[in-house]
Order: sequence, then C-alpha cells, then structure tokens
Amino acid sequence: MSDRKLPRLLQTPAVLLLLVWMLIPLGMTLYFSFIRYVLNNLRRPEWTTPSLSNWRGFGNYEFVLNSKDFLLAIQNSLLIVCSILFLTVILGVLIAVLINKAFAGQGIVRVLLISPFFVMPAVNAVLWINMILDPVLGLQGIAVGSINDLLDALRAAPLVGGFFSLWPELEPISFRATQTSAYAVIIMVTWQWTPFAVLIFMTSLQSEDQQQKEAAVLDGAGTWSQFRFLTLPHLARPIAIVVMIQAIFHLSLYAEIEIVSRGNGNKNLPYLIGEFANNNIGAASATGIFAVILANIVAIFLLRMIGKSLME
Amino acid sequence: MGRIVLKNVTKSFGDTQVIPPLDLTIEDGEFTVFVGPSGCGKSTLLRMIAGLEDLTSGYIEIDGNDATQVPPSERGLAMVFQSYALYPHMSVRKNIGFPLRMAKMDQAEIDQKVETAAQSLNLMDYLDRKPADLSGGQRQRVAIGRAIVREPAAFLFDEPLSNLDAALRVGMRLEIGELHERLKTTMIYVTHDQVEAMTMANKIVVLQAGVIEQVGSPLELYHKPRNKFVAGFIGSPKMNLIEGAEAAKHNAHTIGVRPEHIEVSTTGGQWEGKVGVAEHLGSDTFIHVHGIDGCDPMTVRAAGDVAVKHGDTVFLTPQAQNIHKFDQKGLRIE
Ligand SMILES: Nc1ncnc2c1ncn2[C@@H]1O[C@H](COP(=O)(O)OP(=O)(O)OP(=O)(O)O)[C@@H](O)[C@H]1O
Ligand SMILES: [Mg+2]
Repeated sequence: MSDRKLPRLLQTPAVLLLLVWMLIPLGMTLYFSFIRYVLNNLRRPEWTTPSLSNWRGFGNYEFVLNSKDFLLAIQNSLLIVCSILFLTVILGVLIAVLINKAFAGQGIVRVLLISPFFVMPAVNAVLWINMILDPVLGLQGIAVGSINDLLDALRAAPLVGGFFSLWPELEPISFRATQTSAYAVIIMVTWQWTPFAVLIFMTSLQSEDQQQKEAAVLDGAGTWSQFRFLTLPHLARPIAIVVMIQAIFHLSLYAEIEIVSRGNGNKNLPYLIGEFANNNIGAASATGIFAVILANIVAIFLLRMIGKSLME
Repeated sequence: MGRIVLKNVTKSFGDTQVIPPLDLTIEDGEFTVFVGPSGCGKSTLLRMIAGLEDLTSGYIEIDGNDATQVPPSERGLAMVFQSYALYPHMSVRKNIGFPLRMAKMDQAEIDQKVETAAQSLNLMDYLDRKPADLSGGQRQRVAIGRAIVREPAAFLFDEPLSNLDAALRVGMRLEIGELHERLKTTMIYVTHDQVEAMTMANKIVVLQAGVIEQVGSPLELYHKPRNKFVAGFIGSPKMNLIEGAEAAKHNAHTIGVRPEHIEVSTTGGQWEGKVGVAEHLGSDTFIHVHGIDGCDPMTVRAAGDVAVKHGDTVFLTPQAQNIHKFDQKGLRIE
C-alpha cells in the first residue's frame, strides 16, 4: 500500500458518513420534488404514498413557480438576508473596533454585548414584537405616546406653541402589518446576530499587527486610512466567514416570521415550504430545491463581492 | 537636511525610568549607530525620535525646530522595522507607493517614483507580488524602498537585519552602506551586532541601561574606550580585564588588553598559563588561557596556524602601548 492510500482509507468512513448525511435528505427531496406526493387527497388516494408511478416531471416546479407567493417569498428571503448581513457586518465592525481599545469595564461591556446571542430565536421574536415594537404597549408605543404628550404640552405653551402646532402628531408603526413585518424581523435578527459578528471581528482585531499600524502612522496614514487600508483588509476573511454562516442561517429563518406575522405578506422560502408541507410534499420539496439553489447563488455572489472590494 | 538634537530627554514606563536624562546630537548626513545590550533602551530611544513613543520630559529638535509635539507623520522621518511591517494585503508596488498615496501625490508621479526606487533596490521583478511571496531579504528591501520614496530627512532602522541569515546580512549591510553614500541622508541604526556597528557607523552611541556610555567614531571607541563597559562591549572577542597585582603595577585598578594585542609564545613571556579551549577559525585562533592572576580565562588571538592544544603551557606578553588603564570607578586613565 502506498503511503497515500492508507490515510485515504482511514478517512473513508468519515467521508462516507458525511456524504450519506447530506445525500440522503437531498436525494429524497429531489425525488419527492419530481413526483406527486400529498398527505391527504380523497379523490386520488394513490398520491398519498410516494411512488415512482406518480412521476410528475417538472410539474411541481411549474406549480411552485406559478403560485402567487413564490416570487414574494424569494424577494422577501433576499431582502431579509441581505439587510441583516449588511447591518450586522457594519455594526459588528464598528462595535468591534470601538471596544478593541482598552477601557475601564471592558469585561462587563463585552459580556453584555455578547448576551443577545444566547436568547432563543422564538423568545427574541416574542420579546421584540410585544415589548419593544408594539405600537401601543411596547416601548415604541410608549415612546411615541410620550413624544405626542410632550408635543401637546408644547402646543399649549405660550410663545413656542405656534411653532409646535405646525408639527404633526406622530403615528406609531405597526410592525405586524404586511408592509412592515419584514422590517421587524430584520431588526430583531440584527439585534441578535450582531454580537456574533462582533465576537468574530474582535478576535481577529486582536491579532492585528501593531508594527504595521506604526509603519502606517509614519507613512502619514490617519485613523481612517489605517482602518481602510489595514484593518478592513485584515477583517476581509472574518467578514466572509460571518457572511457565509449568517447567509446559511438566515435563509432558513422561520420562528421570527411565524411569530411576527404568521407569514402574512411576509413569507420567505422556508415559510412557504412549511405552508406547502401542510399537504403538498411534492411542491414543498420543489421549493426546497429552489432554496438550495438560491442559497448557493447568494453565497457565491456575496463572497465574490467581499473578496473584490476588500482585498486590494 | 536632518540634524537631530535630543535635550534632557527622559522616558518612564509607569514607575520604571527606562531612559534617564539624555543629551545627544546627530549631525546632518551622519550614519549613527546605537549599540548596547538587550533591553538598554535603544528601540525606545529610536521610537521617541520617530514620535511613536511620547517623551516623559525633555525635547527633541529636528533641523532646529522643536519637534517634541509634532506628530510622527510630520517629522519627515522614515523607519524600517525589524519585522519589516509590510502591508500584507498590498502588492510590493502599493507598499512602496503607500506613503506617497497618503501624501495625495498623483498616480503618475507615484508610479514613477516607485519604479525608480524599485530599480535601485533590484525589486523590479517583484513589483506585483505580495509580501508573503518574497524572501526575507527582498522584504527588507521593500521596507527600505517604502522609506526611500518619501525622501525623508532621516532614516531610522531598528535592527533591520537581525531576521536575516548571516550571508544575506553581509550583503544587506553593504547595500545600506551604499545607500547612505548615495543619498547622504542622516541615518540612525539600532543593532546589537558589533560588526554592523563598527563597519557602518560614522558615529557609535554606546548605551547601557538608558545611559550613554560613550559617543564617538568606531576607531575612537576601539582605541580609547571611555570606561570598562565600552571597553568590554566594543571589540570581538571581548577585551581582557585584569585586576589586582598586575593592574597595580600600572597604577590602575583594572587594566585591559585586547586579545589581538597579546603575543603568544611557548618558550617565555610575562604571564604563564594553560591552554583551555582553542577555537580555530582558519584565519585566526582564539585561545582561552587559564591560570593567570586577575583574569581567568584570558582570551588571546593568535595566528590561524598556531600549534597549541588543550593543556599546553603558553606564555603571554601584552603589547605595552596597547594596555588600557581604568580607575576604581571603571573610568579610563590616560
Ligand atoms: N511599552 C513598554 N512598557 C513597559 N516597559 C517597556 C515598554 N517598552 C519597553 N519597555 C522596557 O524598556 C526597556 C528598554 O526597551 P527597548 O525595547 O528599548 O530595549 P532595546 O535596547 O531595544 O532591546 P533589544 O536589543 O532587545 O531590542 C526594557 O527594559 C523594556 O522592558
Ligand atoms: Mg529593540
């Protein structure tokens, strides 16, 4: 046996296990996506068991493509994922750079910053939508209410009253509405995942070479140039990691969407899959395959973009 | 121009004073070398001149202007670090051009200056590589190139060659020497390599624990060390310092004789001892002789082909005109 073969052989079980682990679910999804398979159908009971004789070709895919929610779900998935990525990366970099400098109480601040990450997604959603974003009882409602009260008082005041009576009454935003529920999801997930980005970026900042910075100082680079030409390229790899991991996680957001609006006007692909899966497994599987394709496109596109713009 | 004057400069880290009050003048165009044992404050002093380290007190003048509060980028000094400190994400071209880009020079001019610098440093073939794909010597040249393009008032080098292998070090030493000949710019060079100090410097500053022990030309330091520390530090192998009766004969507390100023004989001489280790270098032999009063072992530099071996009895005679005398405090007696 050559010295190459033995390691290969020893790796085989692990590789096989991984392949089986991935290929079986993917294979079954593919299989279901090409047959008629529903959980409940009184007229055609033969469709309720998966079988090749129910072959439907690309019929499920056509059905999904033509369903009214599909485009919306894709749009929403992209909107939610891209917004969250954008916000968490920017906030993450800013916060990491800020708390990287030594200051008093650093330890406590770091622990506090990380803590949102340990809240369960469903709990996070319930907290945000009820306690913070609720237009009446949440922080938002209370804040808008108090500002309005203050405005009322000012309008009644002599002298400045005339000026403030030009101001409109503020309307709280209802985040459960069709138009805004996606933003609620973006806000709460950003809050939860920014710590993850901060954590990764902070570790990377600690390993930044200080002499390079000193050289840059002598070369006449100001704070911004040092950040732009040294820190940001140094962070390119961790940013790519954060983007990759988050893209995978957030393409499959479910709990937040369910809790905020029950998918009302705010479906993403997983939610759509969930709806189809109530009965039509074939269509759900086809949607799943679309989701896999979308995830790959997003990942490749995002990584390219980061690679290009950050590495000089 | 690049005349640098330090006046009453001190530096403390917390409660520890690393540099007690220190005065030093570096003339325009001079090649000044700071030497001293590890931890004596050479780097700290250099970083203070560069502006990377604040002064605890005192002030620094560059070309007659008080530069104490001037930010590092405006002092017109370029520094070459021991670790090169190249920017890893930029090509060699961008690395060298970086200070010019920061100075908002236009691209055509930057390109032209970068090419000129690269040509003089033999870096033309590597301009589009990243630092990680260069050898140590090439990286060091890029770091020097980055310093040159700025046309600084003075260059500061902090042990620039200590990460290179011995052969490359000799080559780079010559290149830096030539660079100084060509540019005639002030250079301050930190090293603990004797040979670098002796061969490159116009002026050597010997430091110990933040204190300047002596300032002078290499040969001045070699021939007239101001005290025992400098005597022992400059020259290789180290000067033999002899105390006791032998020294008293010269009305001194300690006398010093360099290994190269001692004659070896197997038949007769002033001091008698036994050979310990003999290090044969080919051109020379360093013999460590034991059993001599006041200095054990005494190192002697003899011809390369001298035939002595461990345990032999040898006689040593110092050259009378090359005996250095030091008093109780270790200061030189003329
Ligand atoms: N940031 C710092 N905080 C506290 N002490 C420091 C700091 N930097 C340097 N020192 C101390 O100052 C002294 C001088 O350090 P410096 O780096 O200047 O020595 P050096 O002569 O360059 O030594 P080497 O030849 O090993 O590079 C050392 O005792 C070191 O421990
Ligand atoms: Mg040093």
